[in-house]
Order: sequence, then structure tokens, then C-alpha cells
Amino acid sequence: MTKPIIEVKNLAKDFDGNAVLKDITEQVDPGQVIVVIGPSGSGKSTFLRCLNLLETPTSGQVAFDGQDLTTLDTKRVNELREQMGMVFQGFNLFPNMSVLENIKLAPMKVKGTSDADATKRAHELLQQVNLDDHADAFPSSLSGGQKQRVAIARALAMDPKVMLFDEPTSALDPEMVGEVLNVMKDLANQGMTMVVVTHEMGFAKSVADRIWFMADGYIQENSTPDDFFAHPQTERAQDFLSKILM
Amino acid sequence: MKKKLLFMLALVVTLLVGWGATSTTAQAATDNSLARVQKKGTLVMGTSPDYPPYEFQATVHGKSKIVGMDVAVGQKIAKGLGVKLVVKSMSFDSLLVALQTGKVDMVISGMNPTPARKKNVDFTHLYYQGGYSIVVNKSEKGLYKDKDSFKGKTIGAQTGSTMYNESKKQTTDTKVKGMTSVSDLILALQSHKLAGVAMEKPSAQAYVANNKQLAMIPSHFNLSASDTSAAVAFKKGSTSLVTAANKSVDQIRKQDLVNKDYLPAAGKYLKTNTVNTSMWHYWKAFLTGVKYTLIITVCSVFFGFILGVLLSLARMAKGGVIKTALRWLATAYVEFIRGTPMMVQVMFVYFGLGLIVNLPALTSGIIAISLNSGAYIAEYIRGGINSVDDGQTEAARSLGLTNTATLRYVVLPQALKNIWPSLGNEFITLIKDSSIVSIIGVSELIFQSNIVRSDTYRGVAPIAVIMVLYFIMTFTASRILNYFERRMQHD
Ligand SMILES: Nc1ncnc2c1ncn2[C@@H]1O[C@H](COP(=O)(O)OP(=O)(O)OP(=O)(O)O)[C@@H](O)[C@H]1O
Ligand SMILES: [Mg+2]
Repeated sequence: MTKPIIEVKNLAKDFDGNAVLKDITEQVDPGQVIVVIGPSGSGKSTFLRCLNLLETPTSGQVAFDGQDLTTLDTKRVNELREQMGMVFQGFNLFPNMSVLENIKLAPMKVKGTSDADATKRAHELLQQVNLDDHADAFPSSLSGGQKQRVAIARALAMDPKVMLFDEPTSALDPEMVGEVLNVMKDLANQGMTMVVVTHEMGFAKSVADRIWFMADGYIQENSTPDDFFAHPQTERAQDFLSKILM
Repeated sequence: MKKKLLFMLALVVTLLVGWGATSTTAQAATDNSLARVQKKGTLVMGTSPDYPPYEFQATVHGKSKIVGMDVAVGQKIAKGLGVKLVVKSMSFDSLLVALQTGKVDMVISGMNPTPARKKNVDFTHLYYQGGYSIVVNKSEKGLYKDKDSFKGKTIGAQTGSTMYNESKKQTTDTKVKGMTSVSDLILALQSHKLAGVAMEKPSAQAYVANNKQLAMIPSHFNLSASDTSAAVAFKKGSTSLVTAANKSVDQIRKQDLVNKDYLPAAGKYLKTNTVNTSMWHYWKAFLTGVKYTLIITVCSVFFGFILGVLLSLARMAKGGVIKTALRWLATAYVEFIRGTPMMVQVMFVYFGLGLIVNLPALTSGIIAISLNSGAYIAEYIRGGINSVDDGQTEAARSLGLTNTATLRYVVLPQALKNIWPSLGNEFITLIKDSSIVSIIGVSELIFQSNIVRSDTYRGVAPIAVIMVLYFIMTFTASRILNYFERRMQHD
């Protein structure tokens, strides 16, 4: 049996007494694609942000590659964080840098990669997301779909072991959703371990290995897409699906 | 403005004198003042060169130089001690503070040894005995006879001078207006804001000789010898130095050198000096002013910016005891600096810090303005950092960038872009506000224009010139800043 790459034990998080995550214990195996779905405000983003410690858990453990992140000092957290790429709903590209510079920044400043090597790798990644002709453009001149693909390339530039996606297509015009999902599908096919929060049920059905359904601060269901969409177990999930699948 | 300055100076003087009092008594026991000056090889004389013929700026071989009978007296004393004379110019109000804080070794500036001054400094014997006159407009000469003819009118005198105090005491129904510089007083006289200006007779003679629109009348002030005479001031307790200087002063009196040599020589400078009063003739003086104004502004913005970044980061520090303490300190600093006038800060750095380390006026000015500007820039930067979307920090942190790297490569560049217009404003404000350091004698533009004004006896033209020069500087600066602002617009 392979060792899980992410292990979450009894994770809880509250904001000033408002318990958002109550008690979550799950694990992600290398190469798995997990799709997290659930109603708005159920704590999906908070959960994802706890995985790379952008949010500090109130209690419980988050282990990455066998290391409990919650016990590490800042320096080690930074080191492990670079192995988890994250893609945000709002892209969060650095507007003061060109596309190429956005991608090169972290490899050069964190890993100390040479400019030449970082540039070469950036161009490869841009080809992978079909944007190599925009290398010198600034983010403001790109469409939403293009921005998100750059953001994915930027996260991949650190050669992460896991990619976290927080509603990567929610802020996009419908005609651009496809191009981003295609890039993500390619990634999944290449064996990337991914945790994806999304409302794209088509993507969930076709790409996910497991669906985690989250509500009221718990992962209510953890099942295959086929099981989840055909036979949701909990009333919460049935309710949720009936609303979105209408 | 002038009143505020005076009040502030009084405050600083009281503070410093009170402070220095303890050390003075200690010094008296071991008076090494003479030995110190001789070892140093220079005698630094402080003077306020806008009081011809006592002391004034003259253009000698194309160079601006302080000349006058007081400088001749200073030279004589320095020669007597076997050292070189260095002349340092500053406003009259600042002279005694500069003496007490060791910025200068002696003060010769037509200063009367009044009892009040004697409490704080030591005087030599008198080197000159003069009298007072009142300068009036020639067209009105018939109206006035002496000090009692100004009922219901306003007369002027140099702030902090004996004339000022005596004019107040010895006139009735007459308003007395004080100004720091005599050239300002003459200008006020000519624009009929004043009916007369009280000053010492030799000065009055110099002004009347050089300006055909002026005339002088006797003052008939009732004065004691010490009120109408001038002596050299030394730091309290420097008995050996005073004794040595008195040898030269006694010679000056015995041989009547002031009337025989010094005043005629000064008169010559006055003549050659005022032949050419065209502003072009003084382009070098203005250029020096522009140079120093720019040096002060650029250095202060540079250091102010660095300080501002540090302060703003300290103000945003969150966490342990040390960080909280840092935050409190930075906040207190910013509030304090923003709550006190820059002028006081400039004086405090120059005179106050001067008790510990002897900083040149220019350095003091740059330090004070940097410290001041840092507090304001810190607030802009804090606002700029807050205006950067949190998502930017999160994206950078998720890529493994450290806090510092995130700040340096992601947050600060964007914050800087957002606050660029405010920073630009700060820069332009500083070009104008740096003029405050003229009070400690830095040759920036205002200071230089005052010199040109007293050199040429022309009140308005130099002001017009510096107005244009300031405008050229601020306008150019804002064009350059706009250019960079446009270049930073990527989104
Ligand atoms: N920094 C914070 N401080 C206080 N409360 C927060 C913070 N972040 C999130 N919350 C609260 O936690 C709850 C869960 O938020 P979260 O963003 O994780 O939900 P979500 O499932 O991602 O929702 P959505 O589908 O709208 O993105 C919400 O009620 C939110 O108001
Ligand atoms: Mg969310």
C-alpha cells in the first residue's frame, strides 16, 4: 500500500468562536484527484487553506508527506508549502510583473534557480497551458481564462507534489471555463495529485477519483463519483444535488 | 511665523541653558578654553551677516564672502591667539544658542553686552561704542524728529536686539514690530508698513549711503553705555579665552582701529558691492541655493523613505512582546513627529543633538527633515500596503515565498505604485519646506535670497527670483514623477 501524501486528523478551525471546520479526518493518496463539493459557506475554502497552512488550524493535525505541518517552524512550513501549488478563484497574478516574471519569481527567489533555467522552464509550462505567445504580456491584458492558466503554470513552476484548486473557474465567463478545465484534466492524466473545490459537476464526474461532500463543518460523504451522484447517502447531499442538478 | 520662531527659540534656549548649567560650573574649575582653541588651530566666529557695516555679505572676486568691521575684529582676535578665523553665518536669534552648544567659539555680531545676556555668556571689553538712529523714508523725513515723533505709527527693529527692547520701553503710543532680518525691515519701511526702523548708527549710515530713498534721524533713546556698545561673546566660563581676546580688544580701542581702519574698509565693500545690483550678477548665489535645496530634499526623501518603510512595517508588526513593543514605539514616533512643527525638530537636532555630537548644519538639516519626512512617508506606505489585495500575499505565500520576500517582491512594488502620487507630493512639499533649515544657516535657496537681499538692498527682486526658481524645481519634479507614474501603469 502507498503512503498517503496528505493526512488530515481531527482537523478543526473556528474564527472567533464560529466553528467552520469541526472534525475532519481524511487522507489523499499520491496521484489521486479529490473533488470537494458542498454548499456555499460550508468551509471548503477554509479546509483547502488549512492544507497548506495559509490558515492555522485551531486543533488537529495536517500531515504532508508524513510531516505534521502544525508542529513545524515557519521556515519548514515555507519549504513544504512550495510542494503544494495553489490556484485561487481570483487568479491572484502579480499585476506588476509580466506573465513570464510571474512564473519565474518563486523558482528564482525560493529555490535559487538561475534566470536561464527558470525562463526555459517557464516557456515549457506556458506551452503546456497554450499561452507561450503571451509570455511578455502583463496580466491586465489577459482574459480571465488566460489569467487562470498562467496561475496554474505559475504554481506548477515550483514542481509541486500536490495541486490545490479553489473554485478555479467560478470567476470565469462560461466560454472560458472549458479551456481551464482542459488544462486541469491534462494535469490529472499526467498523474498529478489534486484537491479541487469546484461546482463543475461534469468535471467531478469525469476526473475525480473521490468526491468529498462537505457540509456543516464535516466531510459528510467520501465516495466515488458514480456512487455519489447515483446514490447520495446523506440527506444533506441529496438536498444539495437536487438543487444543483435541476 | 516670526513670532512662532522666536517663541520656539526661547523655549529651546531655556531648555538648553538649563541643561548646560550643571556642566558650566564643572567647566569653570578646569577652564581649558584657550588651550582647546589653540590646539584646534581655528577660532570659529558666529555672526548674522545682514547688518552692514558690522557684518554683511559682499561679492569679492566673484565669490560671496562675509565682511565688515566685526569680521576685522574677529581677525584681529584670531591673530592675537595665533589661530585661523572661520566665519559661520546664522540668524541673530540662533547665535547665543550656537555659542552655548559649541557650534561656534565666539559671537561677534554687533552684540550689546546686556545684563540678561551676561548671565548666559561671558563678554570681552567693549570694542565699539556707537549710538542709535532711526532710518525713515526720505520723502517723509520732515515728519519725524526722533523716537517721540512716531505716535500712532509702527516702527521696526531686529528681533532679539537691544533696539527692539528699548524701542518698546522708550516709546509711547508707538507699535514696535520685530523682524529677523534688517533687509526685511527696510523693505517694510519702503513699502510703508513701517514708519521707521531703529538700528545702530553705523548701520543706518550704510543703508542711507546705499539707498537714495532713505534718510536717517537721531533716535534720542536714553541709553546706558552697555546698551549702545558692542562686545565679543564667549561661552560662559571660558575665562582664559576671554582674557586672551581682551588683549586684542584693548588694542582695538586704544588705537581706535574701528573708526580708523575697519569702518572705512567696510564702507569700501559696501560701495563695490552695491554698484551692481542686477540679479544676474548673483546667479552663483542663487545656484548655490538651488544646489543645497536639492541636496537637502533628495537626501531627506531618500532616507525618509527608508525610515518610512521600516516604520510602517514596525507599525504593522503583530505577534510577541517584542513586535508589540516595536509597534507601539513606531506609532508613538509617528504621532510625535506629526504633532510637532518641523522647525522645532530642525532646531532640536542642530542644537540639542549638538550637545552630544557636533553635526554640521547641513547634516543636521538633512537628519531632521529625514526624521520628519519618514513619519509622513510611513503613513503613506502603510496605506499603500493595506491597499494591496490580500490575495497577492496569499498567492506569494502559497508559492513558498517567505514573509520578507513576499513583501519585497510582491507587496511593496504594488504599494509603491499606489502611493506614488502621494510620495511625489511629499517630494514637492519638501522642496518647498526644506527652506526651514535656513534658520540654522544652511545655504539653501531662502537663505541665499536673504543674503542677496541684504547685499543689494533690494527687497523684492530676489524674492521674485527664488519664486521662479522654486516653481521651476517643483514643476520639473512633478513632470519627472508623472513620467515614472505612467511607466508604472501596467494595469
Ligand atoms: N478569515 C476569516 N475570518 C472570519 N470568518 C471567516 C474567515 N474566512 C472564512 N470565514 C467564515 O467561514 C465560513 C466558511 O467560509 P469558506 O470560505 O471556507 O466557505 P466556502 O465553502 O469556501 O464557501 P464558498 O462556496 O462561498 O466559497 C464562512 O461563514 C465565512 O464567513
Ligand atoms: Mg470558497
